[in-house]
Amino acid sequence: MATSFAAAFEIVSFGAIIVLVVLGLGIIASMMGIFNFAQGEFVLLGAYVTYLASAHGVPIWAGMIAAPFVVGALGFVLEALIIRRFYAAPIVAMLGTYALGLIIRESVRGLIGGFYLTVPEPIGGSIDLGSIHISAWRFTIIVITLLVMAACYLLLARTSFGLRVRATLENPALARASGISTPLIYGATFAFGAALAGLAGALIVPVFSLFADLGIRFLIQGFVAVMVGGVGSFIGPVAGAGLIGTLSAALPWVMSPVVADVLVFVLAIAFIKFRPQGLIAGRGV
Amino acid sequence: MGGASEAVARVSERPDVVTHEGAPAASAPARSAAAGWKVLPIVEGLVLITALLLPLVLQDYLTVFATRVVILALFAISFDLVWGYAGIMSFGQALFFGAAGYGVALLARDLGVTSILLILPAGALIGLTAALLLGGFLLLGRYPSSVIFVSLGTLTGSYAADRLARGWYYLGGQNGIPSIPSLSLGSIDISEGPVYYYLALGILVVVYLLCRFLVRSQFGLALAGLRENEQRIAFFGYKAQHLKAIIFAIGGTIAGLAGSLYAFHEGFVWPNMLGVVFSTQVVLYVLFGGSGTLIGAVIGTVIIEGVSFWLSDNYRDVWPIILGVLLLLVIMFRPLGLISFVLGERERVGSFGKAPKETPNAAP
Repeated sequence: MATSFAAAFEIVSFGAIIVLVVLGLGIIASMMGIFNFAQGEFVLLGAYVTYLASAHGVPIWAGMIAAPFVVGALGFVLEALIIRRFYAAPIVAMLGTYALGLIIRESVRGLIGGFYLTVPEPIGGSIDLGSIHISAWRFTIIVITLLVMAACYLLLARTSFGLRVRATLENPALARASGISTPLIYGATFAFGAALAGLAGALIVPVFSLFADLGIRFLIQGFVAVMVGGVGSFIGPVAGAGLIGTLSAALPWVMSPVVADVLVFVLAIAFIKFRPQGLIAGRGV
Repeated sequence: MGGASEAVARVSERPDVVTHEGAPAASAPARSAAAGWKVLPIVEGLVLITALLLPLVLQDYLTVFATRVVILALFAISFDLVWGYAGIMSFGQALFFGAAGYGVALLARDLGVTSILLILPAGALIGLTAALLLGGFLLLGRYPSSVIFVSLGTLTGSYAADRLARGWYYLGGQNGIPSIPSLSLGSIDISEGPVYYYLALGILVVVYLLCRFLVRSQFGLALAGLRENEQRIAFFGYKAQHLKAIIFAIGGTIAGLAGSLYAFHEGFVWPNMLGVVFSTQVVLYVLFGGSGTLIGAVIGTVIIEGVSFWLSDNYRDVWPIILGVLLLLVIMFRPLGLISFVLGERERVGSFGKAPKETPNAAP
């Protein structure tokens, strides 16, 4: 009983982490049609900001709050300078954002060296439920993920900003004609996606520690999750991320980890092949 | 693809072409416009002469490095065929390269096969098989696959293979397969140095010429159409998906050939050879040099590897950042790569096929 509960917690917590990482990726892919290869590096930057805060004696939670703002601001600038040129061609956008990611990743590598730097958990210890101990920080991540998901949903579905974003997605020409500044909306959406990545990086760095390839580790899983879930909506990628994250964490309990690792990808690609529209088809929220 | 007049103009660059309807009058201005010296053969000739003379002036350890570059150039050509000519973004080209490398390494380790006459065909065959399987799955089917799906699918395939190789004890895990014996021909060992260099160069030249013939054939014309406008090619009655699968398989074969050469040259294989690292490396070579020109892929490889070798002593940390910045600049401002500084658009597009079967009178 205790083991299976621990396993379940492990699975849910990893699923939450993947959802958190994929949120930003999914929003950028769905709302702008860009598969952002630099997203992993935005995660890395969020982690790096948090590390910097802890290394300079600033409270870690302050670093975690700062991270999404710093990364979001950077995303806004990058969108205006670079990403904006790529909207017409999705493949060129992939290559361009890949180059961007390369620059960020190698800069961070230059700054931290080839080390694995640990960042302490702002909420340490464990929560005890009888004989079961679960990590308090991982539990916090699950809670924050749920909150962020709800907030994103409300933002896109219930606010006028969300309405403008969706209008720009559905029909840019009509949106412009209705007086919506589409370049600004694209900029804001990209910055928002980047900020979510920064937040994800900040929250997961105590679990995975900081190293230059932290972002890459999640990028491909993230892409696969977005495709499985279905591009074009907010819920699609989230559902895909939940599925992929849960599968990746659950399969190693029943088979050899190496096989499980590869099997998740094979299953996902096969699924997308036969259901290209993803788990949840259609546009909207 | 241009209109009918442009097609006539392209064809009439060749003096031996006899077109049907009033060809001399129609093509005379076109011929004079196309006259003047051509850049592409000059560039190719210069590269070839440099490559032939290189071992005579280089020290031994540099010849070993040059051999590696030649093999990587072969790999770059395989990617260029698939992306530059057919417009299929294969973000996992290293899968074929590395699979062939691992395959021949296993042949050498477990069965003691080192004969070049078996190894190279085996490598090419592994690359072909892997590309047929992956390409068939990703590209064929009732509905045409989206570009995004194909690029992410190949990327995922390469990443998954990398993870598999890392975790599988039989394949040596993280360390890969070390100490592969040297390649042999009969009783002669082909070890690294000038002999291996000329072997690799010879294969590169042969493959290059074959590819050059291929992309300038009618098949190449269909590929170019595929890249520019897939739907229109489908409306012309071509089976676009089949064309894609064929070129993908050819690319995989060449990558497999390169991978087997690379494995025996380095003497070991390791998981990076299969994974995202090599896959993206080859994208960098081709984009940088100029995709859609075979020589661009070769030049890109030489420049990136050369500069990276040259800088590696003093600026090892900064080089990848510079590379990223350069790549970004090329993508933003020179989408056709460095080669476009010397090579005109007209020559890059080039002419296709032999004599036209009939004067193209299909409406533009």
